[in-house]
Amino acid sequence: MFKDLDPILHSQLRLAVMSLLISVKEAEFTFIREKTNASAGNISVQINKLKDAGYIDVVKQFKDNYPQTICKITPSGIKAFEEYVKNLQTYLSIKK
Amino acid sequence: MDEEKILTEKESLALITSMINKAKCDYEETGISALLWGIIITFCSLISFSNNYWWDLSWVNYVWFLTLLAIVPQIIISIRESKRKKYKSYHDDAMGGIWISFGVGIMLLSFYTGVFHTNNDVTLYLILYGIPTFATGFARKFAPMIIGGIASWIFAVISMYIPFPFALLLSAATAQLAWFIPGLILRRRYLKLKNDNV
Repeated sequence: MFKDLDPILHSQLRLAVMSLLISVKEAEFTFIREKTNASAGNISVQINKLKDAGYIDVVKQFKDNYPQTICKITPSGIKAFEEYVKNLQTYLSIKK
Repeated sequence: MDEEKILTEKESLALITSMINKAKCDYEETGISALLWGIIITFCSLISFSNNYWWDLSWVNYVWFLTLLAIVPQIIISIRESKRKKYKSYHDDAMGGIWISFGVGIMLLSFYTGVFHTNNDVTLYLILYGIPTFATGFARKFAPMIIGGIASWIFAVISMYIPFPFALLLSAATAQLAWFIPGLILRRRYLKLKNDNV
């Protein structure tokens, strides 16, 4: 049975951020910006949406006197991502 | 990248694959540490073999102090690589723990062989070389290091049955198989990925 895709994840930039974070333990904001080629403002907004959904944790700290933002996927983020990929695969196999 | 662009299912899968590959490319090892230790251990083993087989000069055995000096560039490489990295992979802590344990183990073994003057201490070193090499290869699914680790242990067994100076040749061969060759492969792979992503 095909389930609706999670609207939080079914958006280009948020899905890109989650795909990056699922591959690593944690990542700096600058890493996400470099890999997605998106503007800092856009990423900030999308990161906040993912954080509000409980899919990622965001820690703001200082490193060598510079502000540093660290993002990390949460267990519910991992579950949601896995569910999303499973639904995508189901949908694509039905379409075939 | 458009923040609110709604993707088709195929585009979603393609995006996930592309982002995972981009992250994977970044956590590729540079191979410099493996090359450094491969060269140092090969050099020290061959010099030490030549000395014990032909030259017989007592001061030449101090060549092994080069391994202590090599700790300085290793620390610099580690600091530079950690500053360059803007993420932490799942393997980082485990790998750090394994290689620190290895460093401590090597120092304690050097101290032990210095105090008790065993006849053929190369065997003990080869057993130890195999542990972090195999563990790293196994954890990272990197076959050249798995082969290098197994080769260390096979050479350790062989070294028990051959006279001392020749065991040093096995030490050089281990350094090549366990670190130098995997280091070269890692370096090539890293440079290729770096160029592909410029």
